[in-house]
Amino acid sequence: MKRFIILATIALLTIPMLFAQARKESEPYTTITWWHPNSGLAGTASEELIETFNRTVGKELKIRVEGVYQGKANDVLTKLKPILQSKDQRDLPDLAQLDGSAVLDIRDAAQLITIDELAKDDPGHLSRIVEATLNSITYRDRILAMPFNASTILLYYNKDAFAKAGIDRPPRTLDDVKTAAAKLRQTDDKGRTTFWGIANVPTTYELMVWLGHQNGLTYLTDYENGHTGAPTKVLFDENGTMVNFLTRWQAIYDTGSLANLTSDLNGAFASGQVAMILASTSNLSTIASMVGDRFEVGVANMPMVDENATGGVNVGGGAIWAFDTGKNNQRAIWEFLKFATGAEEQLKWHIATGYFPVNVDTYELPEFKAHLQENPLFGVASRQLMDSNPKLQGLWVPSAYQIYYAFQSGILKMLEEKQTPQEASRAIADEINGYLQEYHLMKAR
Amino acid sequence: MRTLRATLSTLLSLLVVFPIAYAISASFFRYADFTALPPRLFPSGLNLGNYVRAFSESFLARFLFNSLLTAIIGTFLRMTISIMAAYTFSFFSFKGRNALFILIVATMLLPSDALIIANFMTIRALRLTDTYLGIIATSLLAPTHIFMLRQYFRMMSVEYREAAVIEGCTDTRFLTTLLMPMSKAVVLTLAIHSFSTIFNDYLWPLLVTNRTSMRTIQVGLTMMGFSEQLDYGPQFAAITFLMTPILVAFIALHRPIIESVSIRFTGR
Amino acid sequence: MNSNRSIRFKPYIMILPALLLVALFSYIPFVLTFLNSVHSVSLGGERLAFVGFSNYRRLFSNPSFHASLSNTLRFTLFFVPTNIIVTLSAALLSNRKGWLANLNRIFFFLPMAVGMSSMLMILKMMFNPTIGIINRLIGINIQWFNDPDAAMALLVVAGVFLGIGFDFLLFSAALRNVPNDLKEVALINGANGFQIFRHLELPLIAPTLVFIVVTNIKNAMLISAPVLILTEGGPFRSTQTLVYQMYLEGFKSGNYALGSAIAIVVFLLTFTALLILLHLERRRIYYQ
Repeated sequence: MKRFIILATIALLTIPMLFAQARKESEPYTTITWWHPNSGLAGTASEELIETFNRTVGKELKIRVEGVYQGKANDVLTKLKPILQSKDQRDLPDLAQLDGSAVLDIRDAAQLITIDELAKDDPGHLSRIVEATLNSITYRDRILAMPFNASTILLYYNKDAFAKAGIDRPPRTLDDVKTAAAKLRQTDDKGRTTFWGIANVPTTYELMVWLGHQNGLTYLTDYENGHTGAPTKVLFDENGTMVNFLTRWQAIYDTGSLANLTSDLNGAFASGQVAMILASTSNLSTIASMVGDRFEVGVANMPMVDENATGGVNVGGGAIWAFDTGKNNQRAIWEFLKFATGAEEQLKWHIATGYFPVNVDTYELPEFKAHLQENPLFGVASRQLMDSNPKLQGLWVPSAYQIYYAFQSGILKMLEEKQTPQEASRAIADEINGYLQEYHLMKAR
Repeated sequence: MRTLRATLSTLLSLLVVFPIAYAISASFFRYADFTALPPRLFPSGLNLGNYVRAFSESFLARFLFNSLLTAIIGTFLRMTISIMAAYTFSFFSFKGRNALFILIVATMLLPSDALIIANFMTIRALRLTDTYLGIIATSLLAPTHIFMLRQYFRMMSVEYREAAVIEGCTDTRFLTTLLMPMSKAVVLTLAIHSFSTIFNDYLWPLLVTNRTSMRTIQVGLTMMGFSEQLDYGPQFAAITFLMTPILVAFIALHRPIIESVSIRFTGR
Repeated sequence: MNSNRSIRFKPYIMILPALLLVALFSYIPFVLTFLNSVHSVSLGGERLAFVGFSNYRRLFSNPSFHASLSNTLRFTLFFVPTNIIVTLSAALLSNRKGWLANLNRIFFFLPMAVGMSSMLMILKMMFNPTIGIINRLIGINIQWFNDPDAAMALLVVAGVFLGIGFDFLLFSAALRNVPNDLKEVALINGANGFQIFRHLELPLIAPTLVFIVVTNIKNAMLISAPVLILTEGGPFRSTQTLVYQMYLEGFKSGNYALGSAIAIVVFLLTFTALLILLHLERRRIYYQ
């Protein structure tokens, strides 16, 4: 018995060695690894992108790309961070697709290769990238990462429900949202809500816009939302933008038509439980496929907090970061990034997911125009961005996860425990200031 | 009275087994079956599409292989280390025996979940991330096992071993030919326990593996990414594929499993 | 002489692996965790300066930590009794003869055969409010992942499904050790089912019960995987537990100092709970 176990163990151990051996055979290829958070439709699309690259350009230039799905964007960061901090090159991927919550943690990493360095001898390609997306990832004149999955936040609404409630266009301001939501709400004979006007608990993604676009442009923290240095305190409390927003949000809640949902909003929307949700343009294809022909989906600009809130929206989504793994893969990395952000591939990516193309040439392709003609919803995000203040930028903060929850819990607490907007704003600011100071404690020598 | 008890028992047992039965059934669902009204408990037909997708879009076989390998090697090493230590503490007398025993057994009070940050830093420093050894390293020592084995071994008198040694019996032979057969039940129970602990671990393998090819099944299953669009079919198919062999084994071996537990763990 | 010396060293060599492992993965990390909790620690993991208990002070004024602490205690309070009642009922009800009882027993321990993350993924999909079977069967739209109370209930349910297999086996093994003739005598003397349980079975299975309560409390206070897979601490941190927050601070925020302080709190809590329980158990035994 014991001998059997030992033999079985040895046999099992040798199998992975065989795997390793098999891979070595194809050595003349440069292999680069890409950690990404793309799942569902985006997952299929990014697998196709890799497959196309390996079959065409990659084959020609002897480059192979390996995609590794690492969970959600913040899970990719969780995996990456300890590796970067240990100043180690082992385990490091060549490429990692991250969102804005990662910037502060990554931008000073020694292993980072900026896009300027990669494009040094080949600057032509960068001139084809949508400028707003490049600006959204530039820090101290360096382009930190390659824009790839660019998005903006949008209002999704159920057109059939709107028509039934006699509302002819999507709300433009939060006051409009209040009026519309109250009309859209439906109750059963016991007075319980069966159909909600809007479902959302505002957090980082929504508030970057709803606080940031007030009075044309407002920063949430010092150092311009973290884009000129590490933020030390929030500004939304003292400048009153949070109170202004919360006052309007509470008014919506008081109509009884706001559902405080934080998960599975797409499902709630698609199954006809709620008339309006706020979500990234990258959910467009997913939501469309989930809704099917149950009702007509409408997409509109993110509602403004008030008439003075003219700042528009920031570029959301993410970018692909490049790292020096010590294997001199820079050329291979650059070839793949050029391919992934080329006009053709960005068109496929756009159609499959709803992310807007980061390549200006994509917008000129006849296929793009034909697709847009047939699916006008796909044009809302990029148009909304064009009307926005280019200085409105995403939030670069440490402990993004905790800050995300601080916003959410703070707002819920106000609604459920009947706090005033002033009290809620103060409490949220205090909690987030705590996290910002934690970061400086970790930095200080 | 008797029927009432049987009815209640059966109802409760059906409730307990429901998620398993539903998962198997749902692995054959078409997408529309999930949203059908009235809700479906059984698939509309024998639809194998979910299985095809589960296999073509993930590395299920590789994940399962990693899990089995780490659980088997981990259990083997953990049992060997525990038996060696328990044997020494039971049959040898040496300086500091009690102190060392307490030193080891006291770690029962240091839950490894609370030490995960420091342990992760150790594993990184030893460059063991993305290795099988890294996955099992922190589960190699089970103070509870050493404690229970020693309790059991001490039922045999020390003179037994001394007599055997004088007869020219080596420790290895004494262990394998005498002590092990005698303690088969307790060793088996602890081994099953070890296997399921290592096999089911989630947070630790999630932290120490980065490459897809090194993921264990527990991590891999939650990273399949189908559920994003409520596309549950392939996920249920993957789960069904994985649990079926173990379910069959458990049903076939239910008697020895129930008995092995009844021998130890209870009362004395 | 030589062999004599090797005999003298032999026991030490045989326990060496165990000693090395406890040093490497228990004592050293424990000391490091404690040191990190009283220092400021850089993002790279180096201790920067001794700060006394200021990490703990910041922790105890942090709303996120208040949530974790109360959630962990609430979960333990809900989970342990629920789990004991369900598994003990299962064991008592199925402690009969016949094929049906046998089938019931197989069903009761079958969840043990399902891997942890498989079970959690199954539950996650069954409890999905939109297309999950649970809401559709009961016909009420419970927002399992959006309503704080429902999410906590879901965690308890998940805990029971993860634990029932093994705990059921322990209980039913203990019950089978209760001699049958004793029960028959009691029945002849007119005892009812509850009296038999209270005065005959309960005292005899008491050691098993204590063992299960102790392990359940320990597991409940250390719960992390169900939180990670099912709820990610949400909604509104209503299911964020201590070990989960430790993971957030340590790995998501890279704040090793605060993460280590949470680890020490977790350690003290489980330690105290176990001590109190063992103390109570000892007293009870003396009384008997």
